[in-house]
Amino acid sequence: MIRSVINHTILLAGLAFLLVPIALIFFSSTHDTSTLTRQGLQLFPGSSAVQNYHDILFLEAGFADGITTLSMLKNSFIVGFGVAFLTTLFSLLSAFGIVYFRHQWSGFLFWLIFATLLFPLESRFITTFKVTTDLGLINTHMGIILPTLAAALGTFFFRQFFLTLPEEYAEAAILDGAGPWKFFKDFILPLSWARAGAVFVVSFMIGWNQYLWPVMISTDESMYTLIRGIQFVGQETGSGMAFVIISILPPFLMILGFQRWFFNDLSGGQ
Amino acid sequence: MAGVELTTVRKTYPNGAEAIFGVDMKINDGELVVFVGPSGCGKSTLLRMVAGLESITSGTIEIDGKVVNDVSPSERDVAMVFQNYALYPHMSVRGNMSYGLKNRNIPKAEIDQIVEKTAKTLRIYDYLDRQPNQLSGGQRQRVAMGRAIVRNPKVFLFDEPLSNLDAKLRVQMRIEIKRLQRSMNVTSIYVTHDQTEAMTLADRLAVINEGRVEQMGAPMELYSNPASLFVASFIGAPQINLIPVRFEAGKLGNGSLSLSGFSDLPTDTDLVLGVRPDALELGKSDQLKMNVELIEQHGGENLLYGALAGVVDKDGNSTEICLKSGQETLPAINEVLELGFDVSQAFVFRKDTGERLQ
Repeated sequence: MIRSVINHTILLAGLAFLLVPIALIFFSSTHDTSTLTRQGLQLFPGSSAVQNYHDILFLEAGFADGITTLSMLKNSFIVGFGVAFLTTLFSLLSAFGIVYFRHQWSGFLFWLIFATLLFPLESRFITTFKVTTDLGLINTHMGIILPTLAAALGTFFFRQFFLTLPEEYAEAAILDGAGPWKFFKDFILPLSWARAGAVFVVSFMIGWNQYLWPVMISTDESMYTLIRGIQFVGQETGSGMAFVIISILPPFLMILGFQRWFFNDLSGGQ
Repeated sequence: MAGVELTTVRKTYPNGAEAIFGVDMKINDGELVVFVGPSGCGKSTLLRMVAGLESITSGTIEIDGKVVNDVSPSERDVAMVFQNYALYPHMSVRGNMSYGLKNRNIPKAEIDQIVEKTAKTLRIYDYLDRQPNQLSGGQRQRVAMGRAIVRNPKVFLFDEPLSNLDAKLRVQMRIEIKRLQRSMNVTSIYVTHDQTEAMTLADRLAVINEGRVEQMGAPMELYSNPASLFVASFIGAPQINLIPVRFEAGKLGNGSLSLSGFSDLPTDTDLVLGVRPDALELGKSDQLKMNVELIEQHGGENLLYGALAGVVDKDGNSTEICLKSGQETLPAINEVLELGFDVSQAFVFRKDTGERLQ
């Protein structure tokens, strides 16, 4: 009895720790800026919600008013989905290659890929910037997306999964006349579907939440993402709070949608 | 219909480990050959080489008169049943059975017809739309068989297909496999470490030890006429009685044991006398004396285990022997039985090389 009270208290404390900041932002987004400046962040609903969200949806900013919430939303979606889709695809392909094409170097290649975890994008900005500009990708969506793709985590995740599959699947498939491409399409994809969903969501968030790299590689106002847009709306303004809420909503909905796959697979269940 | 022929087939792994040391073998059309041997003897490797899942270091493998060394596994026209069945977990039973046919571009109507017919023979028709994880062990085994059968291959390869089943089901499936193989008359290679399975299924047995075929022949031939100590001890359950002896003054002896009727044996080396438990007879003569220690009643027959009297090794341990007798033979524990055997039914081997001398 006491034990369960303690357990629940700890859980509730953890929940509060995670939720209170979001609640603060959400309720503050319903107050006007003067209340926020005078009294700080708010924990109860106010009356300026409509005004704040209206302001933010029709925000026009930048040198020529070319930055709108809608255009930033669009950019964020392109980058988010681009990163998510390509990361998942490349992770699958590289893990497939490492596990099933047992080249004598494949172990070495895997650890080489894995070592990239030691070098986050921030630590190799200068070289990455050089390569990206040489490729002519400055001020493009691809320029924002590509450098983020070198994420070994997905490869590692799928490799570990493929290693749990009995080798006989591949052998039986070979005897059944399936070549590598067929095996990928008929076995690897359907068997990894749920896990791929988890990797997709995580990399979507990585892409969506990028800040520093997009600042580096895009100067054009039409390339602004939502996270960058926060600078235009002020930190303790009602509409700023509304803007933050809008920016966390899509990843949140995404997790909600993928939740069953996501939790099944990151916790190792089936 | 097709035979399989192996000519000095060798397998050496890239790290230099040798798995197969030159195997020659001819498997006839429609024959069921069982590879039997202890784990790690190379029997599965040899089977996988026939399937094309392992490369061949040297020698040739022919299927249906054609050398297949460089033919891809799918074009060798062989089908394999794996120990863990390797059923595709994301496909229904129907999907599992039809996958190989689909890849061979057979029209869908024809596939359905073949799959359904095979499913009926194997009594899995009602489960065609189930997923593998909804099936029992025996049903999965049947699906694995069905997946091989629908392909109508030239050669069936079985890699310990029954070892994941419980004892009762194993016996059932064993009979079923034999029946199916007979009716389809397809050349088959069956790998097992279970000598009972090997004896009961095989048209011919190949006993494999450390990458070599020790002896190949009909099961009863191997049982009653083993070529080596290894074959004699591997084939037969309960295991053959092996008694360490030396040949001196025209007799086989050890301690107080002294057996006549043997001749022309070397005197300068340790020998092993092999007598099958069912070749021993109670009270026939007093060639061997056994001190009864344990009686296993199997219903129809009793197995009597005990120490061979008068024979101890240098550590003072006695030699255990076994007698197979009728259900009415129930001596008291520690009773001493006098056992006899026909010298023509006993084997003598060299201890060092395992070579059969008599």
